[in-house]
Amino acid sequence: MIVNTKWLEKYIDIPYSPEELEEHLTYIGLESKIQKSPVDKIRGVVIAEVLDVLHHPNADRLSICKVSTGFDMQDVVCGAPNVAKGQKVPLALLGTVLPNGMELKPVKIRGISSEGMICAEDELGISSDHSGIMVLDEKAPLGMELSEYLSGEGTSIDIDLTPNRPDCTSPIGVAREISILTQGELKIPEIKFKESEESTKDYIDVEIENIDGCPRYAARVIKNVKIASSPQWLIDHLKGVGIRSINNIVDASNFVLMETGQPLHTFDYRKIEGKKIVVRNAEDGELVETLDGIKRALSKDILLICDAKNPVAIAGVMGLGNSEITPETKDILIESAYFSPTTIRNGSKYLGLSTEASYRFERGVDPEGITNAVNRITDLIIELAGGKVCKGIVDKYPKKISPAVVKIRFKRINRLIGIDIEKSWVKEIFEKLGCKILKSDDKSVQVLSPTWRPDLEREVDYIEEVIRIYGMHKIPSAKRLQIQPSHEVDSRYDLIEKLRSILCSYGYFEVFNNSLVSEKQTQFTFKPVKPVKLRNPLSLDMAYLRTSLIPGLINTARWNINRRNCDLQIFELGFIQYFDPDSETHAMEILKFSLLITGALEDEHWGYQTRKSDVFILKGVIEDLTHRFGIESLKFEKCKNNYFKNLLGSNINGKEFCYLGQINQEYLQSEWSIEVPIYVLDANASVLLDQAKFEIRYKPLPIYPAIERDVSILLPEKIPIEEVKQKIMKEGGELLREVKFYDLYHGKNIDNGLKSVTFNLVFQVADRTLKDKEVDKRMLAIHEVLKNDLNAKLR
Amino acid sequence: MNLLDRAEEVRFQFKKDLSKVNIDIQSVEDFRLEYLGKKGYIPALFREFTSLSVEDKRKCGKILNQIKKEAENSIDTLKQRLNSIGIDEDFFDYTLPGKLPRLGHLHPVTQTMNEICSIFREMGFGIEFGPEVETDYYNFQALNFPENHPARDMQDTFFIDDSILLRTHTSPIQIRAMEKQKPPIRILAPGRVYRNEAISARSYCTFHQVEGLYVDENVTFCELKGTLEIFAKRYFGKDVKLRFRPSYFPFTEPSAEVDISCFICGGSGCRVCKHTGWLEILGCGMVDPNVFISVGIDPEKYTGYAFGMGPDRIAMLKYGIDDIRLFFEGDIRFLKQF
Repeated sequence: MIVNTKWLEKYIDIPYSPEELEEHLTYIGLESKIQKSPVDKIRGVVIAEVLDVLHHPNADRLSICKVSTGFDMQDVVCGAPNVAKGQKVPLALLGTVLPNGMELKPVKIRGISSEGMICAEDELGISSDHSGIMVLDEKAPLGMELSEYLSGEGTSIDIDLTPNRPDCTSPIGVAREISILTQGELKIPEIKFKESEESTKDYIDVEIENIDGCPRYAARVIKNVKIASSPQWLIDHLKGVGIRSINNIVDASNFVLMETGQPLHTFDYRKIEGKKIVVRNAEDGELVETLDGIKRALSKDILLICDAKNPVAIAGVMGLGNSEITPETKDILIESAYFSPTTIRNGSKYLGLSTEASYRFERGVDPEGITNAVNRITDLIIELAGGKVCKGIVDKYPKKISPAVVKIRFKRINRLIGIDIEKSWVKEIFEKLGCKILKSDDKSVQVLSPTWRPDLEREVDYIEEVIRIYGMHKIPSAKRLQIQPSHEVDSRYDLIEKLRSILCSYGYFEVFNNSLVSEKQTQFTFKPVKPVKLRNPLSLDMAYLRTSLIPGLINTARWNINRRNCDLQIFELGFIQYFDPDSETHAMEILKFSLLITGALEDEHWGYQTRKSDVFILKGVIEDLTHRFGIESLKFEKCKNNYFKNLLGSNINGKEFCYLGQINQEYLQSEWSIEVPIYVLDANASVLLDQAKFEIRYKPLPIYPAIERDVSILLPEKIPIEEVKQKIMKEGGELLREVKFYDLYHGKNIDNGLKSVTFNLVFQVADRTLKDKEVDKRMLAIHEVLKNDLNAKLR
Repeated sequence: MNLLDRAEEVRFQFKKDLSKVNIDIQSVEDFRLEYLGKKGYIPALFREFTSLSVEDKRKCGKILNQIKKEAENSIDTLKQRLNSIGIDEDFFDYTLPGKLPRLGHLHPVTQTMNEICSIFREMGFGIEFGPEVETDYYNFQALNFPENHPARDMQDTFFIDDSILLRTHTSPIQIRAMEKQKPPIRILAPGRVYRNEAISARSYCTFHQVEGLYVDENVTFCELKGTLEIFAKRYFGKDVKLRFRPSYFPFTEPSAEVDISCFICGGSGCRVCKHTGWLEILGCGMVDPNVFISVGIDPEKYTGYAFGMGPDRIAMLKYGIDDIRLFFEGDIRFLKQF
């Protein structure tokens, strides 16, 4: 909300500079920021008078203006339709740089030279208005810099208002806050109008059907007003808060709304049927046309203001076109009401329509400010439009809104804040806030909350007021903290961080992807799942929660490949979700980590060859990783999935743990336009964390030497290496400590359908030195088995 | 045995020749071909080997392999000398780039979250996690956001259905922790959150939070200030100044926003702090009694504080990043910088 220091000063004396005010308001919870006017920085735009306007001989739409700055006269070519003799206007002199970067130079426009420019508001950066030149007040002093002139109009301060403070939605409310700081008196505008003999109640009756939705409704009639346009001060004032001027009546109601925070509505009285206002709920599907010309279908939760026959306004949101003030309006009906915040919020949400009025009603207006606002607008209308004020206000108040009675214990203030605060000071503050002190003793104080502060309902609300006015920045920080470490261990967090840092040490870059994805991306899973769908997504591309981290990683890969970063090792750790009717949130959430590699694993370098990505790089990663989490040898199985070529899967203790493989190249090409091979690993982090074991028992180092032997064989290509290894281990028995597979060769010198493989065998026992003979015996047995069982040939 | 003898001879000759090889590309390659080339001495030994009896093979195989490996290693060494020393043996080009270890990088937001968490963990906070898909109860109602209250507009929400949504903050973890644990409760709740906001340089539909909660007897606003002051000084430097100013969050009362003096300009005003000298970095307050009531903790006996901050925003401030989308693009050139 924007307040201007010049208006604020109408209601309170301000002993502060704008900067001091900004700081003081911020320290009491009204986060303020001075709005710098773009004009402040402009030099060389001065106030000039238009002495004469001549037709441009060569262009119909242009005119030649003779302007005077008081010390100089010049000719300026102007294209604005509204330029006229006698106006005071902002004139940009030669050499001036305007906010849009334009520098003024002498120019010839259609053969006539122009020595400056009369500016429109958009050219000065004041607004986006380019309908004509900016016209200043006729009293504006000639030759004065525009920035200096406008600075006399007060400083605008933008307050970022929190939703608990409806009382500050107006300059009077802000002035009230300032008065607490300055001890100054609030200056409330005086009411001067006189009532006529005719009585309002003879003209209007109010009937409230829904008293919860509308606890209070006040109305008054003013006869014989003259509809006209508003005076310049009012137009400017409304413009300053972003409201367009309509006519003197509508402008008056907007003015009072902005001034007091109480929304008002004015009807053309002659269009109100049956001298009656009925406040009732709409019917489902009931159609109305609001002031903005839009037809809207209502629901039964929306409150309507009706006359004896028809709806005339959506309560607290917007009036209807059928009863609006027109130039022909003679008599008017003023509405000032308290509508329940929930009702108005529901209505405003349902209609998708938020207005200055609904903004205030849904936060809660002052139920005792209703009639004051009627009097204030009456006064203003008499001033602006004349007329006869009917006597009295029809004020229906069937459901009293009582402010809270709250007991505040001084001990409690101390307990929450941590320091003692002077009791008398506390009481004084409560009074300044507008509370009525009902009871008070050494231990506590009981107050009646001000009617404009619906947020003050409980003891703690008042403790907040104490700290707010005292100044949070003045409260000392505890020098010695009482918090103590907990005995609980966060093993999960530590394990997750361990996982991340191990992946990082393998050379992987951590990435984050959006968890919101398209429906198509949710299909990338190893088993079919039902994805979780958002009811109100930003777009169809982001309408589902991800069911896998892999599409995000492929997307990241594509982003990088398109930018010529083709060697990638990336990972993401995060949650995936899918529909699960048995869960409290109807969603199963699984913590996953996924890896993607493509291209070379090292940067190109002098002196060595780089390794290239393949499936076994990922297999190595997951084998080493699980080993570091205390999980003994993973077993892999071949799996099938349409998105993959060569897919492997692995379980840990019967729990599905990971898949790894090469992404199907046709899929990559058609869905992602990626032509290079991509390998991914998808793993369930929860399974890893749950199964992790860190009970390491040290194994003594061997004392006796080992004997190493190689087994080099030719064997049919389709025999898996693991099978050969198992045979060797079995025959090697207790003497064989380790079997390392280290060479695989097919091609030249090897017959088709065969492969040459080499294992390195390490024989060693803990209690003695092995003899060659023993090892030879085992080697012989191994060779026999390989020959007989696997049809292997020794090399 | 013949083959073994010849093998030893080859080995001996190799060593002799090795010491005489000129360090130039041609000589090294000729030397390699002489011993290891298809027609070289060592492959010749292997050819002979295939015709041996099984027993002889067993005796010879290992030695032959050893000789071959030795020869290969020696030639590799020669090649390395060729590469690094060039032709002039006395010339050592120390300006050649180092062969870098290839390590990955943690995401800058992960790094920031870890740094934040580790400071609070030292003080005694433990870490709790919670689901990203939440119920309206945990995300709003239990946190004293009444239904149909304008406070809900402070957080644009993605809904799954009427009562299930994507958490807009990690505060539901606080509720779940208070339901589970008895005071004293001191937890940190890091995690990913969601807001239904259009994606731009300044906002993204998902980002991260770290929240803290401490509930015990006699937890005061002074304690809160002291805790956050330690954090800020540890994280941003010991000269940093803090500014507490009243604000509003439904789940705390009193509530405050905390600014730190701008660490770019030191408080004199710059583009980053929008010429205010202050940077808003976190929200905090004393736990609202209504929140205690919803989790069954007696607000007369216990008090508590809560705070929350956005590591994405803090990382942006710290590293001078002006577009939040960079965090979610995964551009390697960006990630490499952290």
